[in-house]
Amino acid sequence: MRPFAPDAPRPGRRKLTVLALGAVGLAAALTAAAFVTPDRAAAAAPTYVPGDPAQVIATVPPRDPGEVAARRELGSAPDRVELAVELARGDIARYRTLSDPRYLGRAQATLGRWWQLAEPPADVLLLRATIEQSIHQFAEARRDLDQLIRVRPRDPEAQLTRAVVATITADYAAARDSCRAIAELANPVVVAACEAPLDAIAGRADEAYARLARLVGAARSGDAAVRGWAMTELAELAFMRGDSDAAAAHLAGALALDPDDAYARNLLADIWMATGHTGDASRLLAGREQIDSHLVRRAIAEHDLHGAGAARLVAAMRDRIAAAAERGDRIHLREEARFTLAVDLDAPRAVRIARDNWTVQKELADARLLAEAAVAAGDRDAAAPVIAWARATGVRDATLDRLLARLEVMR
Amino acid sequence: MRAALAVLAGGAAWLAAAPAWAHKPSDAQLRLAIDGDTITGRLDVAVRDLDGALGLDADGNGEITWRELSAGAPRITAYLERRLTLGADGAPCVQRLGAPALAELSDGAYWAVPISASCAHRPRSIDVSYALLFDIDSMHRGLLHVAGQTTILRDARPVRIELDETTSAASFVKEGVWHIWIGIDHILFLSCLIVPAVFQRRTRRWAAADSLRDVCREVFEIVTAFTLAHSITLVISAIGLVALPSRWVETAIALSVAAAALNNLLRTIDARWAVAFALGLLHGFGFSSVLIDLGLPSHELIGALLGFNLGVELGQAAIVVALLPVVFWIRRTVAYQALLWAGSATVAIVALLWSYQRYVA
Repeated sequence: MRPFAPDAPRPGRRKLTVLALGAVGLAAALTAAAFVTPDRAAAAAPTYVPGDPAQVIATVPPRDPGEVAARRELGSAPDRVELAVELARGDIARYRTLSDPRYLGRAQATLGRWWQLAEPPADVLLLRATIEQSIHQFAEARRDLDQLIRVRPRDPEAQLTRAVVATITADYAAARDSCRAIAELANPVVVAACEAPLDAIAGRADEAYARLARLVGAARSGDAAVRGWAMTELAELAFMRGDSDAAAAHLAGALALDPDDAYARNLLADIWMATGHTGDASRLLAGREQIDSHLVRRAIAEHDLHGAGAARLVAAMRDRIAAAAERGDRIHLREEARFTLAVDLDAPRAVRIARDNWTVQKELADARLLAEAAVAAGDRDAAAPVIAWARATGVRDATLDRLLARLEVMR
Repeated sequence: MRAALAVLAGGAAWLAAAPAWAHKPSDAQLRLAIDGDTITGRLDVAVRDLDGALGLDADGNGEITWRELSAGAPRITAYLERRLTLGADGAPCVQRLGAPALAELSDGAYWAVPISASCAHRPRSIDVSYALLFDIDSMHRGLLHVAGQTTILRDARPVRIELDETTSAASFVKEGVWHIWIGIDHILFLSCLIVPAVFQRRTRRWAAADSLRDVCREVFEIVTAFTLAHSITLVISAIGLVALPSRWVETAIALSVAAAALNNLLRTIDARWAVAFALGLLHGFGFSSVLIDLGLPSHELIGALLGFNLGVELGQAAIVVALLPVVFWIRRTVAYQALLWAGSATVAIVALLWSYQRYVA
């Protein structure tokens, strides 16, 4: 025994330790090797034959005789663009109410004859841009909208869509132009709701909030959809200013107008999760998990709460991410980054996904996400694009400011 | 102004709904394998998609019942036959669709139909001409799975998949490893036999084993016996000499887990290798049903069997290698006693419940 190592393990014990560590390492490596196998999806689901003829196998929208007739008419006269546009509008409306992306693909197919044209009719341009925007092809959507506005500068729907696409891609000057163009065409609430996110990103959330709140208060009645949208904008502004109670109240108002407003519901869940009301957030989304953006939030909430359904929800979300990847879709990046950060606790990977997402869309939520992932990863450089964006815009947001301050001290 | 607002109302509604990408876009799954000169496989198409193409909801109420679907079956078959063609090395094959059933996927019910195409010779490449649904849904995708690789079909253009001869045996090894690790009953069975191996009977009483070598020898005997036993039954049932109903096999496997756990509690049989052999025979039948589900190619039976069995042994070895040192390490502690007694009792109860469930299922 050497005098300076009285506690040195006996040789037999040491050998066993090495053996045990080696064994565990080997087993872990083998396990990892099988888990990275790419062809897990290859296993087919088991089949069954229902015993009851009355059993409902699938639910679809009830048949609309007008639509059936229009489709038949289009079939016999396939170049009647006004029919195709009317049918595609119906599909897009169905996509919005059901949040089922299948109907976007149907709308695109209905417009198939004009889809590849460089200069399709103006109505087709608008719908093509709408579909492209929905599947995050923002550059294509923008090109179509610019082209459309050249022929139809006074089309409020075109200008509004252009304002949205330009805001998402951080082209604030173009968004501002479109909001101004709407000023002559629509009521002041719409204009204020169009400009509010631009003002907020320019660091003027207080003024934007005051203006929009005044206009919404003055227009007591009015279109429910516009009102709901304006209230959602108010909520975003309030949350940026750090007033989560006011934000939650606005969102409750928006949901009272339309319980199926997925955007408002997500925002309310986010605010509740950010302020420690995770259980409320989970209940808010319960039963609506067929919508991915609801599912990811509920999975994270239940995971944080160690809830009974957590494992099932987390598995379902993993399935959705895998299914999207399998068909080559990358429009889940925001959800995927968030899930990777909150459930997998894999900050470096979340950073990579959030950075990919930032190249596609640059909304405040995307900035917060990348900053949050960078904070978790302890990687200030990863957040460089967001830091530069915040500097360039002068944006003030309670959540982002807090995250950026934490990144600042990491230097 | 009102007209503008009506338009804008639509605009506002989708501004709010834009980020909600929901449900799943339309996918169909086409899995193919080669069996001699025949291409076999299965096509799964969402019932909702078939309704979009063919209008299966006869009464138009938005609910597609099994009755409506069955009534539409001939039209579905005609549609699929017209729009999906398989060929080999540039030549057509004689194609046949089997009896359809339903499969429940994460986003609803799918029409699952077996497909087989006999070709002039064993294909070196498969030609797939797939023209389902693209005309009504531009975002439809066909996901073609062949030989462990997935091809995304984005339009109706035909594709050719080159087959790599060497992949199949290797893929069966992976399946074997995978199967034993996700098969909790095999893991528990093996654990029940291995955990007590660090204890040995000395004359009339049990005591912790002194040498790791003795323990390893006993574990080696157990694992070898289990391997031999399940290999025998795996082979005889995979080549079709014996066919047992899977409900009975699964029930018996659960009972075997319970028996191994109870043996730890009651210590009826000391020779655990004998237990491993006798009950391991049952597990082989379970492995073979997995292998058959994977679409066992009859001409490559030996390679697939060897590969799969090798995979099972590898997976099993990894479990033993991970478990044994830990158990040996803690064999004199209270933790070990707790693991042995409470663990065996729990496994026995759970396994009995499983066997009941599998029996009534």
